Amino acid sequence: MAFVNSDYAVEVKNITKNYVIRHQKNPSLKDAILKGKDKYEKFLALDDVSFNVNHSETFGIIGSNGSGKSTLLKLMAKVLKPTKGDILVNGTVSALLELGAGFHQDLTGRENVYLNASILGLKRKEISSRFDEIVEFSELERFIDMPVKSYSSGMYMRLGFSIAINVNPDILLVDEVLAVGDQAFQSKCYKVIYDFVRRGKTIIIVSHDLETISDLCNRVIFLKNGRIEEIGDSIKVVSAYRSYVEDLERNRIIEQQREERKKIFKSVIDSKRKVVDAEEIDKLLKIDSGVFENRFGSGDAEIVKIELLDKDDKLIDFCRYGEEVKIVFEVKFNNIVENPIFGIRITDHRNIIVYGTNSKLNGLKTDVYQPGEKLKIVFKQVMNLIGGSYTVSPSIGNKDTKTYCDWIINMMTINVMHSNIAEGIADLNSKVIIIKK
Amino acid sequence: MISNFKKLFAYRELLFSLTKKELKVKYRGSVLGFFWSLLNPVLIMLVYSFVFTIVLRQGIKEFAVFLLCALLPFNFFQNSVNYGAGCVIANANLVKKIYFPKEIIPLSIVLSNLVNFLLELVVLFVVLSIFKYKFYTYLYLLPLIIVIEVFFVSGVTLLVSSLNVLFRDLQHLVTILMMVWFFGTPIIYPLANVPERFQFWMQLNPMAVFATFYRDIFYYVKFRDFVKYQDNFGFYIPDYRIILICLGITFGVFFLGYFVFKKIEPRFAEEV
Repeated sequence: MAFVNSDYAVEVKNITKNYVIRHQKNPSLKDAILKGKDKYEKFLALDDVSFNVNHSETFGIIGSNGSGKSTLLKLMAKVLKPTKGDILVNGTVSALLELGAGFHQDLTGRENVYLNASILGLKRKEISSRFDEIVEFSELERFIDMPVKSYSSGMYMRLGFSIAINVNPDILLVDEVLAVGDQAFQSKCYKVIYDFVRRGKTIIIVSHDLETISDLCNRVIFLKNGRIEEIGDSIKVVSAYRSYVEDLERNRIIEQQREERKKIFKSVIDSKRKVVDAEEIDKLLKIDSGVFENRFGSGDAEIVKIELLDKDDKLIDFCRYGEEVKIVFEVKFNNIVENPIFGIRITDHRNIIVYGTNSKLNGLKTDVYQPGEKLKIVFKQVMNLIGGSYTVSPSIGNKDTKTYCDWIINMMTINVMHSNIAEGIADLNSKVIIIKK
Repeated sequence: MISNFKKLFAYRELLFSLTKKELKVKYRGSVLGFFWSLLNPVLIMLVYSFVFTIVLRQGIKEFAVFLLCALLPFNFFQNSVNYGAGCVIANANLVKKIYFPKEIIPLSIVLSNLVNFLLELVVLFVVLSIFKYKFYTYLYLLPLIIVIEVFFVSGVTLLVSSLNVLFRDLQHLVTILMMVWFFGTPIIYPLANVPERFQFWMQLNPMAVFATFYRDIFYYVKFRDFVKYQDNFGFYIPDYRIILICLGITFGVFFLGYFVFKKIEPRFAEEV
């Protein structure tokens, strides 16, 4: 408790962590002698990460798999050593990295309570005085003198959790261990965690459960590829992470469908057919519709309606080539959104982007909008397009230009009528002249 | 180094808990648990007694006692090192998930084997009483020798357990080396039978010095400080130079083992 007057509970200073990945699973003396130095690769798990956690703060760490969350927690728990940088921890720490780590299968529940609690740093006397509490919390009174190898996995986790929370540290590190047991036991676990919060303990949580994170945490950090992508207010960071995951998912689906499409095209080309049969077209259409029916974003603001108007503000469902039209969409805010970017994207039937623009590219500065506020966004343009069917995807982007509040892909179709027949997308309005030499 | 020992001291309860766990797990599932563990030395004793007294006719008086006095301390060493070699890997779940001074794992192996050794000594005392040996005459020297041996055993175990994380096949090598070590230590033969020019070199092995000491106390029941003395059966008191060298090597090995262990320890969580 020597550092109790320090400003922060945890200070992470320029932490870098490299993992060594050996190609061969287990190093051996034989190989060291015969082959000399083992070949290995380095994996950068954390790259120059710095932040502080205040006393009595509930602090969340989120990020996709492999982003370095658990590594970070293990570094704070001193299980791993950083390659570079320093971590200062002020206060006693209990790390719930895995429940029941160190349980011995052949020992009884009672014996494991004593063993596990002493591994977690409790003195024998302290364990004895808390023993009943631990057992009562785990609801395993009847089974406590049975070897833990006869426990179900739920019982195992319950006992592990009960021991861990009774260690009573200043700082609690939690890694994905709140999903323990049935509903009733889970709510008991949350009660304990909230109790920790009330008692002014510092809690650092790693979880994929974004609801819990935004509910529990004061501040959150969002890790991406071992770097801090965003840090700050939990709602803000969680929504940023959400749209990142959604983008990722969308790209994955699109990539997958592109592959499928390629496969179909390839089979057509390989068979040297000129005609594509109906079944294949069907398949292609299905693939496309999968992409089209997508909507992404945090939902902090949403697109309510989209319309196509002519220059006299009359509702139309097609336009002529060269006509001036307005694409109008209505936006409703559900949360405070700062300086959003409103955009549209027009694509053709092959999903090729014909045109895209947004308020930022137009040099328009937007305000901070309050929940409940409504806006109408108008895009006015001349439709210099070759005749055909086009679709419009409106979007509300966040000011970081990476994440979205809402993005509805292919929300509206515009049919463009053209008296000229030409190929492609844009009408360059060519005049053909023939000169005799 | 001193701060490491302080930390170890702060975690002493864990050391005892883990030692207890080792013992419990070993003797769990059989009422005769401890007596099963006696089976190994008893069998070795019977086999060697047969070979040395009936086949080879060495003429060593009460060979069973002669053997046991040196065999039990060596078994303590051998078991600790053999079990200790794989102990860090066997406890991967602890090493990866929980922070504590990791040397507690091999040390708990040494301690649990020490408890086993002490229980075996009690059995030895019974045997000695039956054969009417005055084993209690120099018993006051026993704790001192045991403590010194514990340091040596701990040193080798720490060294082997940490190196085994980096070189997984070391474990197999250790088993073979321990067999060589067994025959290189005067256990089934008296040191005096070794040609004189090898005797000094053999005693650079601390286990050889320990074995002769145990035997002096229990079997010969003679102890003359720092005076070299030999009788027909090879009673042999190491001189003070040998004792000093033995102490030097013992503590050298202990600190080397501890140092190497601490050096490799930060890599455990990633390597196991």
